[in-house]
Amino acid sequence: MIEIKNVSLWLGDDFQVLKDVSARFQKGRTTVICGPSGSGKSSLLRCINRLERFQRGEIIVDGLSVQDPNTDIYKLRENIGMVFQHFDLYPHMTALDNITLAPQKVRGRSRKTAETKALQLLERVGIEDKANSFPAELSGGQQQRVAIARSLAMEPRIMLFDEPTSALDPEMIGEVLDVMIDLALEGMTMIVVTHEMGFAKKVAQEIIFMDHGEIVEAKNTGVFFTHPDHPRTRDFLNRILSHV
Amino acid sequence: MDWTVVSRNMDFLLGGLGVTFQLAAISLAGGVLFGILLGLARISSKRCISCPATLYIHFFRSQPLILVIFWFYFFVPVLFGKPMGTFISAVIGFIAFEAAYFAEIIRGGIQSIPKGQVLAAYSTGMKYHQVMRYIVLPQALKNMLPALMTQSIVLFQDTSLAYVIGLREFLRRISLVDSREVRSIELYFFAALVYLVICLSMSLLVRRFEHKAHQSV
Ligand SMILES: Nc1ncnc2c1ncn2[C@@H]1O[C@H](COP(=O)(O)OP(=O)(O)OP(=O)(O)O)[C@@H](O)[C@H]1O
Ligand SMILES: [Mg+2]
Repeated sequence: MIEIKNVSLWLGDDFQVLKDVSARFQKGRTTVICGPSGSGKSSLLRCINRLERFQRGEIIVDGLSVQDPNTDIYKLRENIGMVFQHFDLYPHMTALDNITLAPQKVRGRSRKTAETKALQLLERVGIEDKANSFPAELSGGQQQRVAIARSLAMEPRIMLFDEPTSALDPEMIGEVLDVMIDLALEGMTMIVVTHEMGFAKKVAQEIIFMDHGEIVEAKNTGVFFTHPDHPRTRDFLNRILSHV
Repeated sequence: MDWTVVSRNMDFLLGGLGVTFQLAAISLAGGVLFGILLGLARISSKRCISCPATLYIHFFRSQPLILVIFWFYFFVPVLFGKPMGTFISAVIGFIAFEAAYFAEIIRGGIQSIPKGQVLAAYSTGMKYHQVMRYIVLPQALKNMLPALMTQSIVLFQDTSLAYVIGLREFLRRISLVDSREVRSIELYFFAALVYLVICLSMSLLVRRFEHKAHQSV
């Protein structure tokens, strides 16, 4: 479980990116975070695995406070997978090596064990034939699926997705979402920043709407679409839903 | 003109070229290694690490190399408490000086690697040294190979400055022969030719690497 308590984050020259944000994410549930560009969605995700350090508040993951000096953040990160908008595969390594690197270096698995597992994961995301391809030889959708496999190889308990499909051509969005839907249905704890409302309706139990560094609205999926409280949420929904 | 002065002293001169190559090679290896550490320190987010590194780099880049060579010549014996010989003094001076230049090249190379990859690596639980070793440095070193090699050529030429502290490298030996046999034109022409051949072949090598790096993008 992840608990975010009154987190405030300032970046650069005192620009407040997160303003007193609080939220809870239950085990085995999928939460979608949406909101306009610059509202602090990526920053919030990065605070959860301490890729960003916040100045106020507390985040507790599986009982450990992420910014507590006594917390082994590296150990904690092993259990929190993260998938990025621009895939960020290691371009000098094959898909297979991208996936096996962390299990070998961080978890101390043998190459053979790591590769067997990696091949299973590649099969699961539907690109077992691309094991020996370099990222530059893969389509965006394939790269993102390798990136998901790379995270899953560490056998995380939590997965964070930061706009995983927004850099993809439309015809490739489906193949990535399908992988994510499977994961969600298998009971992975997921926090997904996305504007794919079809995905949200299908698998998310909760939806959070952020604007200007604040959580404006957090609701069960059904209620969120039918009875949003806040005018800003309604505006936003109108804009992105009419877009499709 | 009497070109036999060159052939007559060939062994002596080649020995000097050997010293030059040794000095260049050791300084290069030391300069790159120290430069990597300096470059990493320079971009560290911890002020107590980045500040000294930045100062160091600015300081050495503002000094004439010849002064640095002199300075280490007098300083190294004090540091070790006994005379260490001109070669060791020169090596230490060159490493200290060249590292500042290599550090800047390495900093550029490291900063050319997209930050997303670094975040992705950290998110899998890797530590700083692992992220550097497996993700950043392999790509960064490849990107900066042409710049590193160009700087190496400069380093090779610069080693001739060690003659000011009496190190018997190639150029020093040329001038020693000259003071004995008074054949300046021939000897210095020969010296120029040797530097030309060596540096030209190194730059041709760089060009091939640049070409390759270009193709692989
Ligand atoms: N290093 C920084 N210094 C100052 N401001 C920053 C810095 N990094 C990000 N910001 C600002 O923080 C705000 C929140 O950024 P963040 O990336 O978290 O938003 P986001 O909701 O993910 O937006 P997007 O949809 O564009 O990805 C933005 O306004 C951005 O300009
Ligand atoms: Mg973002």
